[in-house]
Amino acid sequence: MNRGNRILLSCVYWAFVLYVFVPLILMILMGFKDSKFIGFPIKSWTLDWYTGVFADAEILSTLGYSAAIAVLATLISVAVGTWIAVLLEGRKFWGRTAIFGMTVLPALVPGIISAIAFRIYARYLGIEPGMGAIVWAHAVHNVPFVVLVVMARLSTLPKSQLEAARDLGADPIIAFLRITLPYLVPAILGASIFCLLLSFDDFVRSFFLGGYEPTLPVLIFAKLKSGMSPEINAIATVALVLTAAIGIWAERFTRRMNKDTKA
Amino acid sequence: MTDQTPLVRIEGVSKHFGDTVALDDLTLDIARGEFVTFLGPSGCGKSTTLRILGGFERPTTGRVILDGQDVTTQPPEKRQVNMVFQDYALFPHMTVGQNISFGLELKGMDKASIKRRSDEIMSFLELDAFGDRYPAQLSGGQRQRVALARALAPDPALLLLDEPLGALDAKLRGQVQQELKSIQRRTNKTFFFVTHDQEEALTMSDRIVVMNKGRVEQDGTPEDLYFHPASRFVAEFIGETNLLSGEMRGHDGDAVVMDWFGQTLRGHAPAGAPPEGAPITASVRLEKLGFHATRPETGNAVQGKVVGKTFLGSRMAVDLMVEEAQGATLRAFVDAETGQTVGADPIWIGWDSDSMAVLRD
Repeated sequence: MNRGNRILLSCVYWAFVLYVFVPLILMILMGFKDSKFIGFPIKSWTLDWYTGVFADAEILSTLGYSAAIAVLATLISVAVGTWIAVLLEGRKFWGRTAIFGMTVLPALVPGIISAIAFRIYARYLGIEPGMGAIVWAHAVHNVPFVVLVVMARLSTLPKSQLEAARDLGADPIIAFLRITLPYLVPAILGASIFCLLLSFDDFVRSFFLGGYEPTLPVLIFAKLKSGMSPEINAIATVALVLTAAIGIWAERFTRRMNKDTKA
Repeated sequence: MTDQTPLVRIEGVSKHFGDTVALDDLTLDIARGEFVTFLGPSGCGKSTTLRILGGFERPTTGRVILDGQDVTTQPPEKRQVNMVFQDYALFPHMTVGQNISFGLELKGMDKASIKRRSDEIMSFLELDAFGDRYPAQLSGGQRQRVALARALAPDPALLLLDEPLGALDAKLRGQVQQELKSIQRRTNKTFFFVTHDQEEALTMSDRIVVMNKGRVEQDGTPEDLYFHPASRFVAEFIGETNLLSGEMRGHDGDAVVMDWFGQTLRGHAPAGAPPEGAPITASVRLEKLGFHATRPETGNAVQGKVVGKTFLGSRMAVDLMVEEAQGATLRAFVDAETGQTVGADPIWIGWDSDSMAVLRD
C-alpha cells in the first residue's frame, strides 16, 4: 500500500468514526443542557435531567420491566438454543437442514413482519398482550443467535474429549454435563449478553405485543411524541452507558475464557 | 500364582465401514502383563482394533472377550480399559489433579481414596508439582505424562495407547520410550500400543503384531520379526534389508535352496516353503553380510565389487555389485574400519543360511 492510499484510508476511517459518534456525543451533551429545548447554543449546564430520571418512578419501573423481560427472554433462548445446537452439531440425520433452516429463520424475518405475525398468532392462541407475549417473541427472535454461536464453539470441541470422558467412566449425560457444557460456557455467556442487549433494545416486538406497561424503548417513543426534551437524552444516555458497559465487559470476559480453555 | 488365561481374546473380529473392510477376521490373544504393539501403515486396521477394544467401535462380526467376559457390545464407560489418546484429550477446564481424579470420581470412590490414589499416581509419574496447573500451562512431554497418569489412575486391566509419542520431538521421544517401557514393567499392566513407527515398536514391545490391509502380516517378538520376517511386507516395513528375487529349487535338510541369477543360496522359510520352481523373494539384513578375502567354507557366498560407500559414524553402508548374478546389487553394514579397507578388488560376501528368510509375497 502506498502513502497516498494509506492517508485516504485513514481519512475514510476517521470520517466513519465521526459519523458514528457525533450523533451520540450530541445526544449526551444535550442531556446536560439547562433548558427545555434541544439545540445549540448551550448557555448553562445542569444535572437536573439526570436527577429527574433517577427520581422518576415511572422511568425506573420501566427500566426494571425491560430488564426483567430481557433476562427471561435470554434464559429461554439460551436453554432452547443450546439444546438445538447440541442436537444439530456434528450429526447427520434426515431433516437436519430443515430444522436448521427453521431455527435460523426468525433472525432473518423483518422485525415488523414478525411482530405483526406474533400479534395475530398471540390473539389466535388467546395470549394476552403484555410481558408474557413480549418474552415469547423476544425468545424466538434470539434463539438463532444462540444456536449459531454455540454451534460454532461446539464444532471446535475435539471428538476425543468426549471419548476420553466415556473412557474414564462417564455415561453420555455425565460427559455432556462435565465436558461439553463447561466447554460451551464462553459461547453461552457471549450469546446471553447479546440476547440481553437485543431484547433490551427491541422496540417493534415490544410495541406490538405490549400491554399497558411500556418497555423502555416504547416509553422513550411515547415521550418523543409529546415533544423532544433533554429528559429523553438523559434516559437514552443512561441506557447507552449501561448496555455499552455490559457489552464491553462481556467481550473481554469471553475472550479471556476462550484463551484459557483452548483445548 | 499367575493367571494363565489370556486377558484379551479377539475372536474372528471384522469391521466394515460401508464398503471398506478395516479389519478382516482378526483372531488374537493378549496375555496378562504383555506389551503388545500393533504396527502398520495408516489404514491397516491397527487403530480400528484399538477402538474396538476401547468400546468406541462395535465389530461387524466376531467377539471380544476381556478377562473371561464378553464385552463386544459393552460401552466404553463400563469397561476396565483406559486409553491414552493421540492428542492426549486432556480436559482443558480442569487442573492436572482434576483430570487425574475424573476417572476415580466416576468409579464412585470416596474423597479420601481419590486423593490418596491420585497423589500416588502423580508421584509415580513425577507430576507432584503440577497438580494445580492447567493443561495449557504444560509442555508436550508433561501433557503426555498427565494423559498416562489419568488413564492409569482407575487401575485398568488393559491400557490402550494410540500413537502417544507422535506429537513429541525426536529427542524426547527416545526418552519417553524408555520411560513407558519401564512404567509398564513396574506396574505389570497389559499395554496395547498402536504405532506406525517401527523403531518405537522394536524398542518397547514384548510382542509386535504387524498389520496390513486389515489382516495380520506377522505376529512375534521384535527379534523374530526383524531376523525372520515371514513376508516381503514385514521385511520392508521393519528395518532395512536386501531383497533377493530368485526361484525355488528344493530342500536341503532344514534349509530351503534357491537360485539367485545362477547362484545357489540356502535360506529358511518361516512362513512355509513354496513349491519347487516358484518365483520367490528372500531377505537378508544388511548387518548379516560379512566380507572375506577367500571364499568362506560354510554358508552362502558370492563374489562382489564395491560400488559405493556411505559413512554412518559407527558403521559404514557398502554397496556391492555381484557380476556373477547379472550385476545384482547388495548392501552391507560393516564397522567403519572394515569399510575403509575394502577397495576396488572383488571380495567374498558371505552369510549364514539361518540369516536369510524366504518370504511370502
